[in-house]
Amino acid sequence: MLTVESPSVIRFFVQFLVLQAVLFGAELTPWAQEYFVVPWTNTLAALSARLVTFFDPNVLAAGKMLQSTANGFAVSIESGCNGVEATIVLLAAILAFPAPWKHRLMGLVAGIVAVQGLNVIRVISLFYLGQWNLNVFEWAHLYVWQALIMLDVLIVWLVWVRTLPDAPAAPAPARA
Amino acid sequence: MRTPLGRFLLKVVVWLPVAFVVWYFGAPVLLWPVKWVLAVIAHTGLPDLVTSVEQTAATFTFATSLKPGDALATSAHITVDVDGLLYSFGMPLFAALVLAAREPRWQRTLAVGYAVQLPFVAWGVLADFLKNIAITSGPLVTSQSGFASWQRELIAFAFQFGSLILPTVVPAVTWVLTHRAFLERLRERPERQQA
Repeated sequence: MLTVESPSVIRFFVQFLVLQAVLFGAELTPWAQEYFVVPWTNTLAALSARLVTFFDPNVLAAGKMLQSTANGFAVSIESGCNGVEATIVLLAAILAFPAPWKHRLMGLVAGIVAVQGLNVIRVISLFYLGQWNLNVFEWAHLYVWQALIMLDVLIVWLVWVRTLPDAPAAPAPARA
Repeated sequence: MRTPLGRFLLKVVVWLPVAFVVWYFGAPVLLWPVKWVLAVIAHTGLPDLVTSVEQTAATFTFATSLKPGDALATSAHITVDVDGLLYSFGMPLFAALVLAAREPRWQRTLAVGYAVQLPFVAWGVLADFLKNIAITSGPLVTSQSGFASWQRELIAFAFQFGSLILPTVVPAVTWVLTHRAFLERLRERPERQQA
């Protein structure tokens, strides 16, 4: 097992960066946009609207838009706000880190739920912040939530690394 | 919040607003080196396109040799403003992580992390500028910029990568690399210590 102190850390980061670039490049292809990103973003808007209607019935989702029927305010969930990029970063970090596949899969499932769960909170909070104050909305949208989502990814990864079994002790080098 | 990781997260959440305030008001100074990186790149790589790069607060203004689409015969030239804050919000994240961990020589780590992030902030700003003149401006402007189709594709990718991935990933990666001993300690669990 790789520890964060091991020399393999360089290999981990190279794999992490390559995976990230490949996955991000794949995400930008028209095929991925049509069959994955757009449907996912629409689902995110629908889920957010469904959750909001528990306490605010004046909300509906139309495509990737979340709209208030009371005052007409709407937010459109664009690239960077649908959690896909954050998920790609987490995916790359988990896949690049040497671990049994069972742990990787468990980490991915739990991690994606954690990242997307916080992202739903981001969308809903921005929807209401925008109705309250556009300056605060801009700040939260452009800077604060971006940092919080990446902090979420980092914490999820750290928790996952903490759950990994210890590596077997390395054999002592043979003496010549 | 009884675990070391929980305590660490709590400290990050406390430091984050402080770091954001310092970053926001300090951005004109913090981003000053980015202007010089951009000026060097523009001077060496885009001498026919960019005539100067100026900084006002956290905004970078690229003066170009391109003419407005409807006034090709005039002496007017296009300038493009890019908000540097959009590409540097990883700085307060990195600072909050460093201050929450508070490892020995944390001031040095802060300085190293800041220096590491500068070229990536420049990447984002430059890609934003190039996207403006090569893709999103009117056809008369984009045609003057002279980029081939594959170059526009590359600019689009660089812009997306520079705006959606790098601003948050670079500080996180830098923090992990500069806090390996701290991460080892975070990873320790009671049963591991007893084993």
